[in-house]
Amino acid sequence: MLAAGEGRRVGHDTNKVLLPLAGRRVFTWAVRWATTLPHVSHVVLVVRDGDQETVRSTLARELPDTEVVVVTGGSSRHESEWKALCALRPAIEAGETDVVVIHDAARPLASAALFRDIILAAEEYGGSLPVIDQPALTALHDGGDRVDTRTVAVQTPQAFRAGPLLDAYTAADAEGFVGTDTASCVERYTDVPVHCVTGDARNIKITFPEDLFLAERLLAKADYDLSAAPHVRAAWRRHKAGDAR
Amino acid sequence: MTIEHADLECERCELVTEHELHYAGRLLESTRCTRCGHHLTMTQRALVPAYLHDLEQRVASKPQRLYHRALRDPRTFWTTLPGAVLRQPAKFAREFWSLVRRG
Repeated sequence: MLAAGEGRRVGHDTNKVLLPLAGRRVFTWAVRWATTLPHVSHVVLVVRDGDQETVRSTLARELPDTEVVVVTGGSSRHESEWKALCALRPAIEAGETDVVVIHDAARPLASAALFRDIILAAEEYGGSLPVIDQPALTALHDGGDRVDTRTVAVQTPQAFRAGPLLDAYTAADAEGFVGTDTASCVERYTDVPVHCVTGDARNIKITFPEDLFLAERLLAKADYDLSAAPHVRAAWRRHKAGDAR
Repeated sequence: MTIEHADLECERCELVTEHELHYAGRLLESTRCTRCGHHLTMTQRALVPAYLHDLEQRVASKPQRLYHRALRDPRTFWTTLPGAVLRQPAKFAREFWSLVRRG
């Protein structure tokens, strides 16, 4: 869970993921939804230097039953992801972690169902990311001709098989490569296919002040519950039982 | 009324700027860019029903939140509970007043 921001600091320098949102801090909402899924075993939260104490006290208050490892992020998204993977390395190398999900903590409305879809797709294909169709946008050739392709907006959470993901970031670290996002690093160093899953229009990223108003309304509309409903948990168990057979 | 500050993108400045955020209870009531003064506010017509819906959820989830707090740190919970209960009427009065005053 990436909560370290983008390194752009102005004014009071308050990280937006620490803002209140309907009674909780922005960053704890998505952790809450993800951890309602069975088999989500390790949570690593990457925070900005200076935010550690605030984050730890917030976690103790808002997610007292969830074990969260807090690590300090780097100067880029790539470096923060690498630090999170280093924290997960023992679990990955011990074979305890099959899939790693990377999520932006500024997206508090990523539901348990979306986490489930992403994890299952990553298990099946190797990598997965949620996308939302953008029918109002179109791609153009350099000459200005319209390209007849599907245009989508990419969201997080994004999930990848743990082994190849760790290998890709280890190779990137050795070469000094800094990717713009997780998929770019995976594509450069592995041949793992990345599968697109239908995203969720509610899964907005808090960027503008308006997004906070919208997130509040969307949470209220969902009765403040985007957790794994019994049918989601049952579907997960059926899927896992099918794997076991 | 609680005031928070955070770095958010201002659509008018087209920059990440410091914003001042005003909350009525748990609900965001208004935001202001401290660079250009761009001000966004929830209308009274939208705020009151949103506040009431949020209040309903706060009340419904209170027993569970108290239970977790008691389990986590029973001594602090029981020693601070009387003071917290006594502060509630004034807290709600302040929240209602901030809602009514803007109308």
